Amino acid sequence: MRYLASVHDFLQIEGLTRMQLEQLLDATNGNVSHAEGRQPAKSTLDGKVVANVFFEDSTRTRCSFETAVHRLGGEVFTVAAAGSSASKGESLVDTALNIEAMGVAVMVVRCAISGGAAMVAKALRIPVINAGDGRHEHPTQGLLDVATLREALGPLDGRCVAIVGDVANSRVARSTTKALCLLGARVRLVGPPTLVSRSMEALGAVSGQVQVSHDLDAALHDVDAVIMLRIQLERAAGSAISSDYRILYGLTQARIRRLPTHAVILHPGPMNRGVEIDDSVADDPGRSRILRQVTLGVASRMAVLERAVIG
Amino acid sequence: MATYLLRGGRIIDPASGLDATGDLLIDGAAIRERSTSRISPPSGATVIDCEGCIVAPGLIDPHVHLREPGQEHKETILSGASAAIEGGFTTVCCMPNTTPALDLPSLVDFVRLKAQEAGKARVFTVGAATVGRKGEELAPMGAMAKAGAVAFSDDGDCIESAAMMQKVLLTCAALGKAFMQHCQDASLTKGGVMNAGAVAARLGLGGWPAVAEEVIIERDVRLNARVGAMYHAQHLSSGGSVEIIKRARDAGQRVTGEVSPHHLLLTDDLCEGYNTQAKMNPPLRTATDVQALRQAVADGIITVLGTDHAPHAVAEKARDFTAAPFGIIGLECALPLYAKALVESGAIDWPRLVALLTIEPARLCGLDGCGLGTLTVHGPADVTVIDPAMPWTIDAESFVSLSRNCPFDGWPVTGRATHVFVRGELLLARTPARQQ
Repeated sequence: MRYLASVHDFLQIEGLTRMQLEQLLDATNGNVSHAEGRQPAKSTLDGKVVANVFFEDSTRTRCSFETAVHRLGGEVFTVAAAGSSASKGESLVDTALNIEAMGVAVMVVRCAISGGAAMVAKALRIPVINAGDGRHEHPTQGLLDVATLREALGPLDGRCVAIVGDVANSRVARSTTKALCLLGARVRLVGPPTLVSRSMEALGAVSGQVQVSHDLDAALHDVDAVIMLRIQLERAAGSAISSDYRILYGLTQARIRRLPTHAVILHPGPMNRGVEIDDSVADDPGRSRILRQVTLGVASRMAVLERAVIG
Repeated sequence: MATYLLRGGRIIDPASGLDATGDLLIDGAAIRERSTSRISPPSGATVIDCEGCIVAPGLIDPHVHLREPGQEHKETILSGASAAIEGGFTTVCCMPNTTPALDLPSLVDFVRLKAQEAGKARVFTVGAATVGRKGEELAPMGAMAKAGAVAFSDDGDCIESAAMMQKVLLTCAALGKAFMQHCQDASLTKGGVMNAGAVAARLGLGGWPAVAEEVIIERDVRLNARVGAMYHAQHLSSGGSVEIIKRARDAGQRVTGEVSPHHLLLTDDLCEGYNTQAKMNPPLRTATDVQALRQAVADGIITVLGTDHAPHAVAEKARDFTAAPFGIIGLECALPLYAKALVESGAIDWPRLVALLTIEPARLCGLDGCGLGTLTVHGPADVTVIDPAMPWTIDAESFVSLSRNCPFDGWPVTGRATHVFVRGELLLARTPARQQ
């Protein structure tokens, strides 16, 4: 199966060069004023139609891509096929082929299948953007996470970022970890041993770059940022979570005091307030970059869409 | 029937300890003469020059899936028995995970009749140990044994309940038949599609740990210590399993282990790119496991080789990695792969490999009693001639199997069956390399 066989596809962070990732980050920066509505829309997608094909439910990512298309002057429609027969692997490709035949220029795909976006990309001639495939990757989230961190912290070389929660079932953790490693940061994956296994250390580009820890209190004192993951009950993580999850791994107001003063907090959303993150932490104007992630998400997705049609 | 003189080959018959250059005379359905000096050909005999080749008992594969009845788009008894001949196998034992499951004497009869009609490799049935392979109720094993079932297994599924496992072992012990376990603790493999490890972590695929295999073997040998059945652990994937089997064998239990070509040659990184041809049950593991399995063969702990030939249609294997079925086909390319993993690596020599492919599985399935797995005068003329030096390239498109799911497609290999006789009938004839 091909990966990034076309430079226009955007299927995963893995396999990108540092330069390619930095080009996308630079393009993201250039799009911020458009994403914020301070400048008029661009015309990159003028006359083009983008299809959002979502075999799995999403609000944030779907709206983010829709907005990004509008900000690039294009038209967009969304197919919400979650739960239908089309969520099965075989018809995933069939559905995608039908939509391609309608003359769309780019397809954004989300599905519950690890490797599903690559399957679609292999079958299609038009560029495909992965908006999350199973537990594999969510590369635009990885891009927007590092864009947010770079904005908050400057260059990420040598920085240390803790990613906390249901790492095993998280495509966000995979993409963001790979992106951080590509930019020279260190990553600490934190969570219960049932959700964060030693084998996740293989996500690092070099040995020791990714560390696994099961002790959140010990993991916070030297980090530059904390990314909290949503506990994903729908991904069968339920049986791996005990009732003391919040006590051990919740980002509480008390834990915040362990962080260095400059450290920022991210969350890909949607948040389970009071479970993995306290209200007051999520809304902390000094540390929380959670809504900034959303804004930069639009700018990042604009960059990826531009890359798809221009290269 | 015809008469054939196999002239000047290296006759390897591990059951009788023979490894010498000589002639073998096949007359009708039986072997008439075996000699280390020249046999003069009777009039009308076809003489086959076997110089440089190995003349071995017909190879036996104790673990194949022929998919009939119920999944004839993947394979049939005819196509599977034909694929066996292409690969040098004169006998195969088919697993009961068909639709319906082979859990009745009438279904054992069905397989025998279909195999007779096909007239290719001999096909024996491994009957289901429980009704519908559901692990809930004993299947009529005694009646199936009378109908010709050579062993019992719920292969494709493990017998989950320890109490049921005990009943099955007691029944098998009384019948004198082996039980073949598919060693998989289902609670540990829920959602698992490949080896639990770094590759699965990066691909975001569900992990299937080696311990899921080991805990079942550990449980079973403890149960069997009080029962004394012939217990056979199928398709071993983990080095840890080897230690358990060694311990049981050292304690005098009749426990055997089986390994497949893919677990002797491939590792889990082949799953990269969501390559469904690398998806199997049990999954491909690490280089350490591969090494431990080869060593176990060298040390005589693993004594049986089985392909676990598992045909699936192209469209089925084209699904995404999680949805695609487990398994690969093996009959037509297994021989040179075994040679590569075990002989070329120096783990064992050709006589031992021949034993692993003939008399060892024959004993496991009780086929040695009717003369299979060995070359004896007046015994059945099931003979495989192997050119150990023949170079060729595996080409799945050219397989006679109905399926193409083979991760070894395109591999250059050495060694191939050149002549295959079943009941004295010449079913395959290729020209050895040195005569080309």
